[in-house]
Amino acid sequence: MTEQLLELLTTYGLPALFGAMVLAAAGMPFPSSLTLVVMGSFVAQGELSFWPVVFAGATGAIVGDQIGYAFGRYGGRPLLAAVTRRIGGAEKVEQAEAYSRKWAGWGIFFSRWLIGPLGPWINVSSGLTEYPWLRFIALDVAGEFLWLLIYVSLGRAFSDQVQTIASLLGNLTWVIVGVLVAGLLGWKLFAKSSNGETAPESDERTATKR
Amino acid sequence: MTRTRPWRKVLIALFVAVVAFTGYHAVRTVSDAIYWNAHRDEPIERWMTIGYVAHSYHVPPHILHQALNLQPAPDHRTLGRIARQSGRTMAQVEDKLTYAIVHARPPYPPPGPPPRPLQPAPSPKP
Repeated sequence: MTEQLLELLTTYGLPALFGAMVLAAAGMPFPSSLTLVVMGSFVAQGELSFWPVVFAGATGAIVGDQIGYAFGRYGGRPLLAAVTRRIGGAEKVEQAEAYSRKWAGWGIFFSRWLIGPLGPWINVSSGLTEYPWLRFIALDVAGEFLWLLIYVSLGRAFSDQVQTIASLLGNLTWVIVGVLVAGLLGWKLFAKSSNGETAPESDERTATKR
Repeated sequence: MTRTRPWRKVLIALFVAVVAFTGYHAVRTVSDAIYWNAHRDEPIERWMTIGYVAHSYHVPPHILHQALNLQPAPDHRTLGRIARQSGRTMAQVEDKLTYAIVHARPPYPPPGPPPRPLQPAPSPKP
């Protein structure tokens, strides 16, 4: 599956890159980091140019992100409202929304390039909690361009070992996601429940297990 | 704390799972870094082009064109497509390329220059 998709990409170039990035950002499981590193390698070999690749990839990803946002806002929100009307819990939803408004900006920006696997989820949740669209798109554009710049540059710099680089980036990303989630869970478990008494312990645990 | 006992157990289980997951990927990151540092050859895949294989294996492209009986002109097709269009399997293409690569490397003498007439247009060479 992966190989067939990559074959399409190497055959059709930038339009295929745009399409693939739209689908990946909208949540389709797709080896987007390998794709970008491969594109970087083709830039190094002189088959493609750097800026068109960055531009096509980033605009594709931005378009795909809007799909997730719209899905959350126009599909998820009415559904959520219907559910809370039936079974209650509106105040919980409001709590979650307040929490999301506070942290979503960071989440949107970093899930574009540093913790990519969370991207599609954050798009939907941003729409769901009605995160201001103009701010969403500003952070989105900044983050996606940063992602493209980093990954395509790495592919260009290490153009003869794209599979190893892509695998390394993929695993590293999951380590960062894992440390974040473990830290959050550890904080909830050990710090919040005992009023900060064992707060340092949770930090230690996540740090040493790393 | 006492109120949320079962909930806490679920959180602890989740925490352990996430730490294990993170550890697994940390180990793989390190092994990737070692692999990268050792610069070993990457397996040939069907999405690659002849140009990429030559670039990755540090061999001149024309020996790969020769190995597949292709014109020495640049060929942007993927190996998968080359295999389909020439009626070979991907494994056969891979074998031919690997054979050519092995024979272009140190124990063997370095390959000669690419054949001169790159284009159908005749270019007289003294």
